[in-house]
Amino acid sequence: MLRQITAATAAILLLSFPVAAHKVIEPGLNDKIVKGVFSANPETRWNRLQQRDGNYQEIWTIDGDRLNRVVFYGGVPVGEPLVRERDKKRDPLPEVTGNMLLPDIPLLLERTYRTKYGIAIMAIGRQEPATLDGRPAIAFDYTFIDPEYEVETKGEAIAALDNGRLYLVAFEAPSVFYFNRDVQKFRDLVKTVSLTR
Amino acid sequence: MRRAAFCAGAGLAALLPLAASAAEELPLLPPYVAAYEPQSVDERGMWMMADEQEKLWALSELRVDDEELNAYVERVLCETVGKDRCSGVRIHILNVPAFNATMSPNGAMTVWSGLLLRVRTEAQLAAVLGHEFAHFEMRHSLKGFEQRRSASDASAWLGVLGGFAQVNTGDAQVSLVGSIFQFNRGQETEADLLGLKYLAQSAYPSRAASEVWQQLMEESDATAFGRKIKKRDTYRAGFFDTHPTSLSRADYLLDQALAYNDAGDPRSKEHYEAIQKHLPKFLADQVKLNDFNGTEYILSGIAGTTGWTGELLHARAELFAARGNPRDLITSTTLYLQAMDAGYRPPETLRGLGLSLVKSGKRSEGARYLEDYLAILPDAPDAAIIKMYVPK
Repeated sequence: MLRQITAATAAILLLSFPVAAHKVIEPGLNDKIVKGVFSANPETRWNRLQQRDGNYQEIWTIDGDRLNRVVFYGGVPVGEPLVRERDKKRDPLPEVTGNMLLPDIPLLLERTYRTKYGIAIMAIGRQEPATLDGRPAIAFDYTFIDPEYEVETKGEAIAALDNGRLYLVAFEAPSVFYFNRDVQKFRDLVKTVSLTR
Repeated sequence: MRRAAFCAGAGLAALLPLAASAAEELPLLPPYVAAYEPQSVDERGMWMMADEQEKLWALSELRVDDEELNAYVERVLCETVGKDRCSGVRIHILNVPAFNATMSPNGAMTVWSGLLLRVRTEAQLAAVLGHEFAHFEMRHSLKGFEQRRSASDASAWLGVLGGFAQVNTGDAQVSLVGSIFQFNRGQETEADLLGLKYLAQSAYPSRAASEVWQQLMEESDATAFGRKIKKRDTYRAGFFDTHPTSLSRADYLLDQALAYNDAGDPRSKEHYEAIQKHLPKFLADQVKLNDFNGTEYILSGIAGTTGWTGELLHARAELFAARGNPRDLITSTTLYLQAMDAGYRPPETLRGLGLSLVKSGKRSEGARYLEDYLAILPDAPDAAIIKMYVPK
């Protein structure tokens, strides 16, 4: 009997406190992005996802990871990959290199996606000079086919190299409906992004 | 829908005429029945699933929509297993940069772009297609399903290379191509040996089957060497392994091929002519995977047949440029120049060369090639960012 009560209590606790707790990001200054690497001043509400793929990443979304997401990669140093490696020895990922140029960043993202997520179809589109918090940056577009559901996802990103570290903020959403609906919110958000260190 | 022609050892069987020429006992192929329809509840269910999967492949973004390439693979299959048998198969070529082919019980076969890149002759392609067709002919999907009523084995060819995750073979990629019909170790050996019989009966030399496994092992070793880890291949199949080891396969396939003592033209030149149009893309997809030594092995293997063509030199240059150590940039610069000397001058070569030079500190030389790139493609999607490296 005691065992049944304990099990029931455990079940109730699990239901009450979901393990993957996400956090609402209210409009206003937020200076804790990727452990304080970025700050931003969003005008709209976002949700910060609990899951992240490595120490240098933070994901915000409106409706869910696969529907619209802003991914911050903050301060990735030379010699480190953008996302966590499944197995550093057996499945190493491409890394940030010391002599990278801005046009190398879209290729780094593509190689990372192809290697880590098994994405077989990915294309980089427009690549233009830009600024990220006053630093020279590259703005670029890309598309890829989600290998699991074969949904075409569009991406728009801005990235800079500063002091041997890579900073990248990307928006990704399905080409159908979600990208066009939400990309302006991303563009508005990016205008408020600054690098805090 | 055109239904599969099938051999099942049934009463209606008609023996294929054997156009054999080898000296030693030539293998008899199993009897063959055309227009086979699924019989049991299990089999009908599997066919229904396979039909649904095939509809997805037909519409898939991953499908390489090229009639000529499809016709090439179909021709190789038909020349391997015979015209009657191959008429029951539909081939779907998928743009996935890994070595694999799959066979569904309804006669739908997928061939991945990574396979077309890695096989070096028509005969090697025939060996893989014959192996997959043998699974189909022996109705292994059904037998395996009935035996296990669950599918959890790794698919055949990915076993060797998939361990290094050239693609994410663990989940997404495999689920995408629907490898729900998988086989166990005994079935793999059966398919190996029947596949070898097809080869021995065909105009291709049957030793090509062993070559495929040798090359897979060598590529796997090259990848392991590059990552400074122990070679992955084991020399003895464990109790729970679903497939014979690559070494034992290479070994028994070679032994049997020697016993057949058949000869034939492996048709290497024809293979590279058939994939020529797609080769730059197949190479680019491979180079973008983070496997320097494995990719070097593949490139050298192709060069062993075709020589170092402009396409191969460009791909090798991209490989070095992507790794990006200072010494790599010197090598990539040399390779881009060699590709151009070989007459290969697409805009991407000029771009790669220009950026390699800029990164090596030779800005003005790099700018010259980047200017050439912009002159050819003034509206390139990256024109604006490349202009940053060209002085006004």
